[in-house]
Amino acid sequence: MDVADLVRAGETIGVVFCMSEVSVGVIPDEHDSAPPSEPKSSVFPAVKRWLREPLLHFLVLGVVLFGAYAYFQRGRGGVESSKQIALSLDDLRTMDIYFESQWHRQPTPAELEAMVEDKVREEVLYREALAMGLDKDDTIVKRRMAQKMQFLAEDVAAAHEPSTAELKAWFEKNSNKFALPSRYSFRHLYFSPDKRGKNAQGDAAKALAKIVGQPEDSKLAVSLADPFMFQDYYGDRAPEALAKEFGPQFVVALEKLKPGSWQGPIESGYGWHLVYVDTVIPGRIPAFEEMEPDVKTAWLGEQKQQAWQKAYQQMRAKYTLLLPAPPEPGAAQAPVPPPAKKAPVPSGEVPPL
Amino acid sequence: MQSTQSAEARPAHNPLKNAYFGDLHLHSGYSMDAFAFGTRTTPEDSYKYAMGETVEYMGKPQKRIAPLDFLAVTDHAEYLGVVRDTIDPNGPFANSEWYTMMTNPDPAVSASAFRKLIGSTIVNKPLPEFSDPKLVRSSWEKYAAISDKYYKPGKFTTFVGFEWTSAPQFQNLHRCVIFADKGPAMPYTAFDSLDPEDLWRYLESQRKQGLDVIAVPHNGNASNGLMFSTRDMSGKPITRDYADRRMANEPLAEIIQAKGQTDTSPALSPTDEFANFEMWLYLIGSDKKANSATGSYLRQAYGVGQEQQAKLGVNPFKYGIEAGTDFHSGITSTEPSNFPGSHGNQDSDPKTVITATTSVGGEPPTALSSGGLTGVWAEENTRESIFAAFKRKETFGTSGNRIKVRMFAGWNYPKDMTKQADWVKAAYDGGVPMGGDLTPKAGATAPTLVVHAIKDPDSGNLDRVQIIKIWTKNGKSQEKVYEVVWSGDRKPDPKTGKVSAVGNTVDVKTATYQNTIGSTELIGEWTDPSFDPNAHATYYARVLEIPTPRWSTYWAAKLNLPPNPNVAATVQQRAWTSPIWYAPAKP
Repeated sequence: MDVADLVRAGETIGVVFCMSEVSVGVIPDEHDSAPPSEPKSSVFPAVKRWLREPLLHFLVLGVVLFGAYAYFQRGRGGVESSKQIALSLDDLRTMDIYFESQWHRQPTPAELEAMVEDKVREEVLYREALAMGLDKDDTIVKRRMAQKMQFLAEDVAAAHEPSTAELKAWFEKNSNKFALPSRYSFRHLYFSPDKRGKNAQGDAAKALAKIVGQPEDSKLAVSLADPFMFQDYYGDRAPEALAKEFGPQFVVALEKLKPGSWQGPIESGYGWHLVYVDTVIPGRIPAFEEMEPDVKTAWLGEQKQQAWQKAYQQMRAKYTLLLPAPPEPGAAQAPVPPPAKKAPVPSGEVPPL
Repeated sequence: MQSTQSAEARPAHNPLKNAYFGDLHLHSGYSMDAFAFGTRTTPEDSYKYAMGETVEYMGKPQKRIAPLDFLAVTDHAEYLGVVRDTIDPNGPFANSEWYTMMTNPDPAVSASAFRKLIGSTIVNKPLPEFSDPKLVRSSWEKYAAISDKYYKPGKFTTFVGFEWTSAPQFQNLHRCVIFADKGPAMPYTAFDSLDPEDLWRYLESQRKQGLDVIAVPHNGNASNGLMFSTRDMSGKPITRDYADRRMANEPLAEIIQAKGQTDTSPALSPTDEFANFEMWLYLIGSDKKANSATGSYLRQAYGVGQEQQAKLGVNPFKYGIEAGTDFHSGITSTEPSNFPGSHGNQDSDPKTVITATTSVGGEPPTALSSGGLTGVWAEENTRESIFAAFKRKETFGTSGNRIKVRMFAGWNYPKDMTKQADWVKAAYDGGVPMGGDLTPKAGATAPTLVVHAIKDPDSGNLDRVQIIKIWTKNGKSQEKVYEVVWSGDRKPDPKTGKVSAVGNTVDVKTATYQNTIGSTELIGEWTDPSFDPNAHATYYARVLEIPTPRWSTYWAAKLNLPPNPNVAATVQQRAWTSPIWYAPAKP
């Protein structure tokens, strides 16, 4: 049986084949072992609170990773532990899937073995490099490890599925972020400068005198105006959308009109208008239920940010920065701690310079 | 009457289509060169700004007057997102030359960093410190996810995109790559290949995996004749297969952006009095001027494409038209009265910009235009609907304003069709929209073109609408600009057919203008007076605004300085439609 067959069969038998002094084994997947039993959190509110604590999650995850690492380092079988390279069934499946996504077919046994050998090569060189201390003072390694710490902290925050009550409570505090603008529905009459030149505004004012008190759908009103290139009626539009369509000055004027009668003239980027606003829906804070998916996205963003800030601050607090003292005449130079300063919090983005 | 506000309804699907405006060419601080210029905006800022939110650029809050409908951030694929580590004082580059250059406040120093970065793509030697595949992949995944995050179907459309930055010997062959929906596993870079045919191979393989995608070439003006060459990269004459693949992968070309327009040049179109507009004569990232206008501009390429079609059976340059900014600021700030500069510290200090006569990029920074926008006619504001418009070329490009223009052609349009209320439906039913092919019809004498243009409500009135015709017979191409409809009661010159200048209301000192001349709307029907059914023909429309202050004039007025003498103080902003093509029936 070769590795490819093994993957397809989904078997979990350990196969060890020798490659010089390093052996490769297939080990059972980690998730095959029984999950730890759930804590009865309802009995212990304090415990429950603690369980939500990102830092705790962070620490627990760290311990688990450390334990897993130690376990694999210790290894199994008779070969010296650091000379074993263990690939799980999942690792092999991943290679298989990766290959398929690139080539749109399954790898041949030889191809899969070549991929395994690539992986082994990487692992061998990695371990040898570690043994030689090549990871020390390597900025790329440092940066990558630092980045992983941030991902870890953020992942911990993302792993917690918020309850509706939790989201709702957060929404109450942050509802301004979700405010909806006012919306207008109106009919308008257009007085075209292309057709009327400088008289467009005056003609509109004269027309208004004739249609005062007329209903919105007045036939008389329509007969006095010019055809408009877009719509005569706009329903349920936010100011921003109207500014895009008519130019900003039109919206400033529109917002001052009283609903329920013909008013104007007001100017747009196209000319002059008489306007009958029939409905204004005032801006409001929406109900939580309307916005739940958006609330969840925003909540998650904040959780990640906070979890990372908190995790970093606590780590940072353990360290003291030593800087050279400013040279003083006659004084020997010695590293002294700088004045206490608030630890900078990385945001994950580069700050503007 | 008041009613409770429910969530805003998604606008209805309009079978006669609406005009939407956007930018398919924008760089944020994720682009190596933008970052070198001190631009710190992220793609998130780019989408927010396009949607009308306020974002910070070069230390100041910026907001568009009129939000856009769609946007693709197209950061350079080379080193995408990974150069940002250079300014971290505790980061991997802390003691390196990169840190020193990138944090230096002198624009000349950051320009040298830019040269080094862009230079590595030009000589095709990736800098190893920015090319770790793991970093590149992680950065790309984040970047593509941002585009998906800001997509609001019906309201605001985003596309996943990147720029493939190929420029052999500083001759620009750049293409922006725009995906229909989800983005690819990895972008394609100029390090992978400098040859557009290899880029097409990448696009073809993406399509096979179910990801539809197009590439949009730009800045032929900086290509030294390479962009619309009839030879491939190895110097061999192009083939039918090449022409087929070029058009299958590249339905659109960008006609204007920061580094000038690619419609035509006064050298190529000496009788076109509006040709001299936002010219950029330098090669890319270089202080050398291009030697050749031939092969560099679209209008000429339309003729050459028809000559090739007669030979190969396929027109390799049958490009629809779009426009973009290519701003390296992360924000599509195309409003001249609201223009904050477009290339980080290279043009952020108004006084330097207004008085400068030289710059790192060859032209002084005032020569950068206030960009362009892509217009599309689409049923609704969704990825699906807008991308379909790109592919059928029902698009237009503007010099950054929001002129709405559409064009149709048909053999039997009734006279005065545009006086009917439902003329658009009749135009679709009885002909083809811009981007389409007018197929030969036995017995037809000449096609009629209908053009409708409406001004930007926040810009100048319209001066005129023209149709530019390029026709090819016996391997020879000619062009002519026809006046179709114009404002006021001007009469065309009986000899030349040209309509006189519209006038100029601009007060340069205060950078103001009056809409007392020009029209808000122009609509016209035009029947080709010299149609030859045996000649190939390309027709596209150009709409001109009345003169308004150029962005640099607004800046000068604010500083109480005279405008920079190297550029025009007033410009006629404009829009170009995608062409409609006619090819004679095969004998």
